[in-house]
Amino acid sequence: MIFLNISTFSGHLHPLIVHLPIGFILLAAVFNILSYSKKHENLKSAVPVALLMGFISAVLACVFGYILSTSGDYDQNVLRHHEFSGITLAIISGILYFMATDHSGKMAFIPGKLFSIILVGLVALMSYSGHQGASLTHGNDYLTMQTLTRTVRDKPTSVDSAIIFEDVVQPILQNKCSQCHRDGKLKGNLSVESLQTLRKGGKSGPAVAPGKLNASELYKRITLDPDNKDFMPKDGKTPLTKSEVKIIKWWIENGDAISGKRIAELKNINIIIPELATYLGIGGVVLPAADERVSAQVTNPDIPMVTDTSLIGQLRKKGLMVRVMLRKPLMLDITLPVGSVIKAAEFKNDVIPLAKNIVWLNISGNNFTDGDLSFLKLFTNLEKLRLEKNPLTDQVSNNLIALKHLEAVNLNETKITDAAVINLKKNPAIKRIYTWGTGVRQVN
Amino acid sequence: MSNHHHDEEFRLNTPEFEQLNKKLERREFLTKTAMGLGAIAVGSLFGKSLFGKSGTAMAGSAGDTEQDILRAIPHFAPKAKRVVYLFMSGGPSQFELFDYKPKLATMAGQNLPDSVRKGQRLTGMSANQSSLPVVPSFFKFNQHGQSQTWMSELMPHTAQVVDDLCIVKSVFSEQINHDPAITFFQTGNQLPGRPSIGSWLSYGLGSDNNNLPTFIVLVSKNGQKDQPLYSRLWGNGFLPSKFQGVQFGSGKDPVLFLNNPEGYDGNDRKEMLDYLSKLNKLQNGAYGDPEVDARIAQYEMAYRMQTSVPEVMSTANEPNEAFEMYGPDSRDPGTYAANCLLARKLLEKDVKFLQLYHQGWDQHSSLPKGIAQQCKATDQATAALIKDLKQRGLLEDTLVIWGGEFGRTVYSQGKLTANDYGRDHHPRCFTMWMAGAGVKPGITYGETDDFSYNIVKDPVHVHDFHATLLHLMGIDHERLTYKFQGRRFRLTDVEGKVVKNILT
Repeated sequence: MIFLNISTFSGHLHPLIVHLPIGFILLAAVFNILSYSKKHENLKSAVPVALLMGFISAVLACVFGYILSTSGDYDQNVLRHHEFSGITLAIISGILYFMATDHSGKMAFIPGKLFSIILVGLVALMSYSGHQGASLTHGNDYLTMQTLTRTVRDKPTSVDSAIIFEDVVQPILQNKCSQCHRDGKLKGNLSVESLQTLRKGGKSGPAVAPGKLNASELYKRITLDPDNKDFMPKDGKTPLTKSEVKIIKWWIENGDAISGKRIAELKNINIIIPELATYLGIGGVVLPAADERVSAQVTNPDIPMVTDTSLIGQLRKKGLMVRVMLRKPLMLDITLPVGSVIKAAEFKNDVIPLAKNIVWLNISGNNFTDGDLSFLKLFTNLEKLRLEKNPLTDQVSNNLIALKHLEAVNLNETKITDAAVINLKKNPAIKRIYTWGTGVRQVN
Repeated sequence: MSNHHHDEEFRLNTPEFEQLNKKLERREFLTKTAMGLGAIAVGSLFGKSLFGKSGTAMAGSAGDTEQDILRAIPHFAPKAKRVVYLFMSGGPSQFELFDYKPKLATMAGQNLPDSVRKGQRLTGMSANQSSLPVVPSFFKFNQHGQSQTWMSELMPHTAQVVDDLCIVKSVFSEQINHDPAITFFQTGNQLPGRPSIGSWLSYGLGSDNNNLPTFIVLVSKNGQKDQPLYSRLWGNGFLPSKFQGVQFGSGKDPVLFLNNPEGYDGNDRKEMLDYLSKLNKLQNGAYGDPEVDARIAQYEMAYRMQTSVPEVMSTANEPNEAFEMYGPDSRDPGTYAANCLLARKLLEKDVKFLQLYHQGWDQHSSLPKGIAQQCKATDQATAALIKDLKQRGLLEDTLVIWGGEFGRTVYSQGKLTANDYGRDHHPRCFTMWMAGAGVKPGITYGETDDFSYNIVKDPVHVHDFHATLLHLMGIDHERLTYKFQGRRFRLTDVEGKVVKNILT
């Protein structure tokens, strides 16, 4: 179902229509002044037409402007000035039109010079009204003397020396939020211009509550589902990027919402440094943003962070089951199917490049002998190893003693004896040894 | 003659293909003509306001596509590689099995105090009873294992493996009737239509064995079928249909129509399927229907299952000790015990999610007799499955789950006599257990009050159970989502907390 939202639609026409009276009235003034010269005398007769067009479009602009103003969200003070000057403008342009027209000689004809002066005055009024209108849309400080004289903050040279609010958070907010949320255009009564206004917040409560993510409306809104009606920014405006959201989150949690704080003075900066460096455009190699929830999990630091993942596809093509257990660092669970055609030497060559990334390995039922498995020494990050149903003897245990992460070894249905268990117990990491269907007799 | 057939791959200009040809032409027309371009222009002009969501879809917010979501998995290193979920359908009573309440003996026959019930609504089955007499367990409890866990005499075998179990006494649900409660447990919502746990897992994690389905369902034939089970409980919901559970039957053909028909040797089956697959792909090119993909995948899976299923179903290689361990029923295909044995074989083959159902736990009356029968049919095989998995080293990375859809009331439904009583549905607290990969063995989590009526410590909601299960499989339950009808869905909907305290 499509609803025709006429009032919003026509309200949004105001910024379009409003430029017509500006053009027409300016044209009328230019024609009027030019008509003083002999060369352009004939332009005089065009003035009333231009004024009439100016009047009609000014009235339309007033009507649409009024509809737009009913949506609220504007600085009422500026709005009143804009409204009053705009309506006055429309009325005066109408009166002037009637004065400029010779209605069968019945109307009093005002002196040409006075007419010109009023017309120029009208242009001045129009400029004032236009400026007020622009202040409503672009902000009070959009076109001021400060704009001319403002100094731009120097770009920080290092992440540590950057000031968290002024150099990072404020630019993000100015870029993504302040089109609607600033002094002069207070949608939802919120301005993101300063720390004070952020903490004060808007209709829905404080935008930023230092240390309290849940109480920070701003964070809530930017992390909603983009289809939620409360999601910000609205109406298809560019949303914050993931790293910007992450920076805001980190700032709310750790930044104390105090201005002038250097990043180096804050807590927990390590988790956010890559994002900050990227945002500030400060060089060096930027680490891939580690997922917070993943990094919360303790992983074995010996597993290399960089691995050639294209090998995984090759192994799968050969018929190995490769299960990715974690991407960063890459942790793999590899299974050689029972009775595979791949022989020990070939298997070894295939998986050696990934040896340090394999944490679970299952090569059960593949007729491997003790000698075949000497390569296991290289799999230093193994946690779970399944060797069952292979013709292995006690010798195999020698390959496993130095594996300091090995937790569980499955030696079911092999030819091992108590000697293997005793040997394996030299490795303090091993917690569980499976010896079902073997010659092992002692309880382990 | 036969060569003639292969002159061209498909003879598309035949009446049989008329429909498809039209479809192809129309598509081509639409995509290649100005009308198509016009539609795109109109779409972008009105963008979001007229067509709502299409605007955002075009904007394509990064990290939201199905591919992105699947690529991010696993979110953490999984502890469990496979799951076997022993679903005790009907609502097993916690009083006679796990939740030992010695104080009830002193209150036997007295009315349930209002201070416990707190005006909570009862089902229509017992709301009109003139009294709600408290009834203690008819069966004795003893302490077992190193953990000294109290266990009912009804489960002597499970008592032997109690040091491997993580017993959660504080599970609760929102549903008080069988179907919505089971649906809630299996899909995360009480209304039919959502994907089941197994479907979510096969969608998110894929398969570890290309020759068997990722998600297999076994329903025991020897449970009392007083409450029905529907195949939608292992359905794929809105996920692509190749992720639905495949039920293995108990008869001559565990999977129907898998055997070649009489008089056909099956030698050219592969060629036929390849050709059919080409035809289906042609069709799919015209219609773009994901169901066609699912059908292609299913034909191919069925072909592989023609060899893999008879192999895994065969018990010829199982030694006598195995049958002895699982109990005499295990020689009778389709019983719970036989299904447990089969479950172990399927887990050995790395089937990811196995769902066993055993019905008949709905003892509104004659509870002592009924529950004793149920335990007799299940206790030994359940314990055997744990022992078997453990000795084979499979409990390392297999998660075993035991539980029903709700518990039962402390008061007797119907007449309470010296040796007979019944119990009504009670979703406010009941007991489940897990064992194996990633869960702490030999612990009890959560506490109920003296009447096992309310939870007094560590409640675990169904959503929390789901969140924990996904966590053990390496999935963040908040990040495995699927967009359907304009909304992103999760197994845990908008809730669920991982029960961290039971994890190793």
